[in-house]
Amino acid sequence: MAWGGTVTSMLWLHLHFPHLLLDHIRRSGEHVAALVIVEGSGQKVIQACPAARDLGVKAGMRLKTAVSLAPDLGIVRADQSQEARILEDQALWMYRYAAHIVLVPPNGLLAEIGSLQRMYGGLPAVWRTIEEVLHERQLTAWVGIGHTPLAAGLIARNGMAECTSDTAHILRTLGRIPLQAAEFDVRTRTRLKRLGLSTLGEVFSLPPTEMARRLSPETLATIQKIQGSRADPQVSWQPPHHFRQQADFVQDIEQSQGLLFPLHRMLSELEKDLCWRQQDTDCLLLVLQHRHGEPTRLRIRTSGPEHRAEAFLSLISLRFEQQPLKAPVASLRLTVKRFLGREVPGGQDLLGENQDLNEAWHTLMSRLQARLGDNALKQLAPKDDHRPERAWSTSDVRRSNRATITTACQLPRRPLWLLQGPQPLTESPKAWFTGPERISGGWWDGQRVHRDYYIAQLNSGQLAWVFRDMREGWFIHGWFG
Amino acid sequence: MSELLNTLMQDARVWQGHKHNKTTQPAEPTGYQALDNQLGGLGWPRGALSECLLDTPGIGELTLLIPLMQRLSQAGKTVFWLNPPHTPYAPALARAGIDLDQVIIIHTEDKGDFLWTLENCLRSPVTGLVMAWPGKLAAREIRRLQLAAEAGSNVCVLFRERHYVEQNSPAALRLELEPDHQQGLKVNVVKRRGSWPGQRCSLAIAHRASLSHHEAPRVVQGPWPGAAR
Repeated sequence: MAWGGTVTSMLWLHLHFPHLLLDHIRRSGEHVAALVIVEGSGQKVIQACPAARDLGVKAGMRLKTAVSLAPDLGIVRADQSQEARILEDQALWMYRYAAHIVLVPPNGLLAEIGSLQRMYGGLPAVWRTIEEVLHERQLTAWVGIGHTPLAAGLIARNGMAECTSDTAHILRTLGRIPLQAAEFDVRTRTRLKRLGLSTLGEVFSLPPTEMARRLSPETLATIQKIQGSRADPQVSWQPPHHFRQQADFVQDIEQSQGLLFPLHRMLSELEKDLCWRQQDTDCLLLVLQHRHGEPTRLRIRTSGPEHRAEAFLSLISLRFEQQPLKAPVASLRLTVKRFLGREVPGGQDLLGENQDLNEAWHTLMSRLQARLGDNALKQLAPKDDHRPERAWSTSDVRRSNRATITTACQLPRRPLWLLQGPQPLTESPKAWFTGPERISGGWWDGQRVHRDYYIAQLNSGQLAWVFRDMREGWFIHGWFG
Repeated sequence: MSELLNTLMQDARVWQGHKHNKTTQPAEPTGYQALDNQLGGLGWPRGALSECLLDTPGIGELTLLIPLMQRLSQAGKTVFWLNPPHTPYAPALARAGIDLDQVIIIHTEDKGDFLWTLENCLRSPVTGLVMAWPGKLAAREIRRLQLAAEAGSNVCVLFRERHYVEQNSPAALRLELEPDHQQGLKVNVVKRRGSWPGQRCSLAIAHRASLSHHEAPRVVQGPWPGAAR
């Protein structure tokens, strides 16, 4: 989607994240004293956290110098795809506050806020909301408001933000930006300097014809886009259809306990996302990346729709108790792709039970499955087959809300216990009761059964279901428990 | 009476012997009038452990619980079978009127998982009845289970071997089960909280094999070749 034709009515908010990667890593909850981001080749520091800056480490410094200043420095290598991903994570939360969002790689986010003013009750309220969210997320961001996307970006990056929607005021602010900071390329800058200009304001005040004659068409376009006299259509970002969060660690995490802190934050993020989507989920995928070897993939299932971070966290910590980490973890990714519609709360279902009980049921089953494994829990059902060992089946547990149909009396009399397999009868029973009942079948699937069943009481007093098969062997098949 | 004593009485801080005629612990009727009578007219205690002590399966130990299972499952309460020694046979349970949607069978691999599962089931409000076959339990483990049972308000029946009768147990109700004549079940109350033990009764449960109460063996001469000898 593109828009921006009539630029004048729009107001843009630009968020410039001066050290997004640092913020991201710090949020993972590690206590590394000083942290720097180095460029891809690993030679130069490009971002330094406040603690590192206190030790004298500066952006642009050689890594060797930085390490000699701060021996315990945590070092993270910049990775473009990772940066792009983290920027998108920011767009995700921003999307809850503004509908039109534009990614400005590598570290900027643009949002159209002109349309939000009425909803939030004025520009100061929008500003305050954004600042609160930034604070809550422990993000460092410079805010800029402008009547065009480029103006907002320039104001944000130069740290000249003012809470105003007045175009004239914004243009005056822009005018104070010195040419060095106005982000022109070197050739244009030299040319403008030769004209005797030193601020953006002086460039703006050139007569248009003069500007067209003296500047390249591209530069002219840029200046007009900053001013707002030329359209600057923007492609709006669309949120993905799944949820994804990642935590990256400077130092590998060896104990699963150490993963719970970053997980708690990610799961609260998930809870917010699910609330915003008005949906639930029943399946989480956790991928633990190790330095060497295959990543560990953990699938966490809940037995019913769920959105609460606490519930997910207790299931995950149960799983961790059962399954210790096979190697130290370098990063942790949480993905949710399956979303379920929320059931309307309140009211009573067919069995007359309320939502609380349903939820308690799902909580209990999820807990049991998380610890015991999916196969430890079974439900039973009778099956239409004459052969006793095939007249029942098991299934995974599920909550059934249908009213029960009692077919009780049509079923033949059977023992309550069925043995896992028939066991040889080794004694002469003390009394015989009903029998024989001939059960013959299975010729159609090769599991042939041809037996005469009796009810007999053994000397121990047990009431047994015994049969004689075709080869005249005697077996116990069940107990009337 | 002195004023001090009066105050104490009014505050209900002093236990008075004559008031302890009847226990008020919550309970579920067993569905067998004869047994309920022996249990002070109450039945299976809720929020406490019960034990059934028996030598071998097949003497009617499940039939003893069928009325309770039927009532709870139809009321939408979940019935758990924890580590049953054999397969609970679905056609027979369905015939007895038990809602199989409410029946859940759990198998655990070790003692730790067993106790953890039992505790979790006991604490949940969805649970109506837990039947568990624990094998060997230390006294401390039974106490742990008793505490978990007190946290909930459901019936928990442990099936244990009969020789544990000699052993002490914190369970609120302990029943010794033996086969009786005419396929009945002899129930001996070994322990009952809030009252004296020693009550006995015999339940006629031959119907579990469709045998009427006074039925003589219908197969007079069994097909067992050695029976004639």
